[in-house]
Amino acid sequence: MSSASITPPPPKPPVQPKPFVIHKERTRFFGLTLDETIRAFFGGNAFMAVVVLALITIFLFREGSAFFGQNRASITLYRTAGLEYVDYMRAQQEGHTALTRYLFDIRLRAVRHLTENEALSVAEANAKLAAFDEFAGRYSDTIEPVRGFVSDLTDVAVAIKEKYTINEDAKTERAQFLATGMTAEADAVKIAEIDFKAELAPLVGVTPMYVEAANGVATAINDVLATAPALPVPSLESRMTRFKELNREYLATFPETQRKLETWDYLKPVPALDTVTGFLFGKQWLTASFWQDWYGLVPLFVGSLMVSIIALFLAVPLGVGAAIYINQFAGLREQRIIKPAIEFISAIPSVVLGFFGIAVLGQALRALSQWEALSWVPGFPFSERLNALTAGCLLALIAVPTIFTLAEDALNNVPRSFKEASFALGASRMQTILRIIVPASLSGIVSAVLLGLGRVIGETMVVLLCAGNRIAIPDFTQGFTAFVQPVHTMTGIIAQEMGEVVRGEIHYRALFMVGLVLFFIALLINFLAQKIVRKYRISIG
Amino acid sequence: MVNVSSLSNAAPMDTSSATPVSRAFKVPARATDGEKADTLIEIENFDFYYGAKQALFDINLKLDDKRVTAFIGPSGCGKSTLLRCLNRMNDLIDGTSVKRGSVKIRNIDINTRDVDPIELRKRVGMVFQKSNPFPKSIYENVIYGLRIQGETNKAKLDEVVEKSLRGAALWDEVKDRLHESGLGLSGGQQQRLCIARTIAVSPEIILMDEPCSALDPIATAKVEELIHELKKEFTIIIVTHSMQQAARCSDKTAFFYMGKLIEYADTRMIFMNPSNPQTEAYVSGRFG
Ligand SMILES: Nc1ncnc2c1ncn2[C@@H]1O[C@H](COP(=O)(O)OP(=O)(O)OP(=O)(O)O)[C@@H](O)[C@H]1O
Ligand SMILES: [Mg+2]
Repeated sequence: MSSASITPPPPKPPVQPKPFVIHKERTRFFGLTLDETIRAFFGGNAFMAVVVLALITIFLFREGSAFFGQNRASITLYRTAGLEYVDYMRAQQEGHTALTRYLFDIRLRAVRHLTENEALSVAEANAKLAAFDEFAGRYSDTIEPVRGFVSDLTDVAVAIKEKYTINEDAKTERAQFLATGMTAEADAVKIAEIDFKAELAPLVGVTPMYVEAANGVATAINDVLATAPALPVPSLESRMTRFKELNREYLATFPETQRKLETWDYLKPVPALDTVTGFLFGKQWLTASFWQDWYGLVPLFVGSLMVSIIALFLAVPLGVGAAIYINQFAGLREQRIIKPAIEFISAIPSVVLGFFGIAVLGQALRALSQWEALSWVPGFPFSERLNALTAGCLLALIAVPTIFTLAEDALNNVPRSFKEASFALGASRMQTILRIIVPASLSGIVSAVLLGLGRVIGETMVVLLCAGNRIAIPDFTQGFTAFVQPVHTMTGIIAQEMGEVVRGEIHYRALFMVGLVLFFIALLINFLAQKIVRKYRISIG
Repeated sequence: MVNVSSLSNAAPMDTSSATPVSRAFKVPARATDGEKADTLIEIENFDFYYGAKQALFDINLKLDDKRVTAFIGPSGCGKSTLLRCLNRMNDLIDGTSVKRGSVKIRNIDINTRDVDPIELRKRVGMVFQKSNPFPKSIYENVIYGLRIQGETNKAKLDEVVEKSLRGAALWDEVKDRLHESGLGLSGGQQQRLCIARTIAVSPEIILMDEPCSALDPIATAKVEELIHELKKEFTIIIVTHSMQQAARCSDKTAFFYMGKLIEYADTRMIFMNPSNPQTEAYVSGRFG
């Protein structure tokens, strides 16, 4: 303590200035200093990542892009070989088949009504419906003339296509022989140029007869409908009226079909754009068919979308809820148990989850859906064990750790001072969470959800095992039952079919295109997530 | 001579000098000087712990209504802790406990079981050291307290916004940009926004924990001016490290050292004629 010492300090001896040495010899590796080496190492790694990404993109494009050319050739053949022509007729036949099915549905309801509400035996019910059955039989027979044409012409068209394909194969074979210099063998390969016009003559020649037959069908349908008997179940009358209405609509399409058939031209070129729209918006994915292969993305995309929606629908409340609980409510001990437990889920191999889905979850969900007390749930009961719902539930499990971890980070990033300020103004814990903490971390939470979506869209094993793998757009007219129907997904189809396709052929390329679409979806999701996170950093200041 | 090491060693303070050394600041006279004030807050035999660590030792203090009280003392002496005990903000920290004694506001013990800390905090507002407006508009910041109380009447809210911002001497600067983010204001404006937000819920007491420590002298002067205005309506307790600020703003000053209340008296007394030698050493700048 020196409060009293005011004596001046003693004079200091002059100090020798230290030599000003600032040079230093550095060790060098390959002519680089240590710092530069480390820099080069990390820079190299970053550069490699970019290069690999670029290579993947280029590879996907290269393998996939030839798809469009091949698809165009395929669709062109579909036209020139007359398959398209036959399909016009087939569409007409299938319209009729759908209507017949409608009649059967009415009958099914009638039987159920009679046996359940009027306590008749099945035999009595059938007896009551005899007049209806006779009518339905006559209705279903009306299409016979068209059916005959379709089955005959199908054979003709397939034969033309077959001939063309054999010829093409022969051409490649000859080209191969020529390439290796085996001229003799090359000459031995027989190639018969196809005269499509002549080959198609039997097809196109029947147009007038077919039109006549179709008109006959229309008259027959009208006649049969005029003699429709009254149903023994009055409550189903409205369905009968609807049936007649549907028939009117169906018959109204006849002139259009006739026009299409008459103006059909096998040489009309297929626009290049059709192959793109046909892929992106095509409603059928049909491969290895004897008739015509279609590569339409929609059923796969819808399948992927549906399982993702179900997964997010379950995973977002779970993941975000758990994050909020852990961040705002849980004590240290709970945190220490729950956090690793949730993060552990992501360590489960997805094939194990898929196995669990097949062995346990699918069964359990179906049993649950058939439980009487739950029949009010939309879509319940259902009979397919493996469907979009089963896959969606498991995908939710996969998405939860991602969403939880990232959302928890976002919540953690909210400055503590916001929370304190809110409490100091008399807010309750819940109000603080809902009005301050969640809004302040909202963009972080949204990007957590997006990345969870990315995880779900890209997941393959679970959907392959549990989604049911039926390539069809689910029937949305029945509301929520669409979500308990089997679907196929973009990832699933690649995994399933890639092993069976011939490298370089159209199917192989189509799968690459699907992969490319997936790639872009993933890119888009990540891009959005990053953009949102960047905005969020700014808003926190 | 200032000896910096004396504090870090927590050595007993130098008490050798009995005569006041030169003062760097004056304590101005105040209109309320002669009046007698009622007691609003009464702290009795108060012991407070962070887990096993005792932070406050046997505090006894009576704080006046509609006056400004300053808490001073070296860093870590427990000023913030005591301040946060007055609106139970320490409840948010795990493991804190009041082991003995009581804090009474208007004769009601605030640490009993049936006191709702949320209701308490509506009556005892707080302004923090670092300004912390919410990432919302200026308007929403001010009415946050009312919103959570369920107030939806637009006219009422508008009125409160204007009144509070005027009260915080911020209205003229922000009246044209009420719906812009509160984070776009300068540091001093943000701190006044936080004050506006606090007075918008019309508390009785405003606790300020070093409200000017992050502000430049001009912004500080504005806040100090504001404190003079606010004390007509509110009771203010301010923690500060600036002796000048305590001298300029407060009516009474409490000096703390190592968790204990050393001296509590009129500000004039504390700065001109402290009775305790430790206080004397601290306010004259010879330690701390
Ligand atoms: N959250 C906490 N947990 C444990 N101990 C704490 C906590 N906060 C403060 N303390 C301790 O309590 C004592 C008093 O701290 P407090 O923050 O009240 O001091 P202060 O007077 O406000 O200091 P300053 O002037 O630096 O703000 C200190 O010893 C500090 O280490
Ligand atoms: Mg403090």
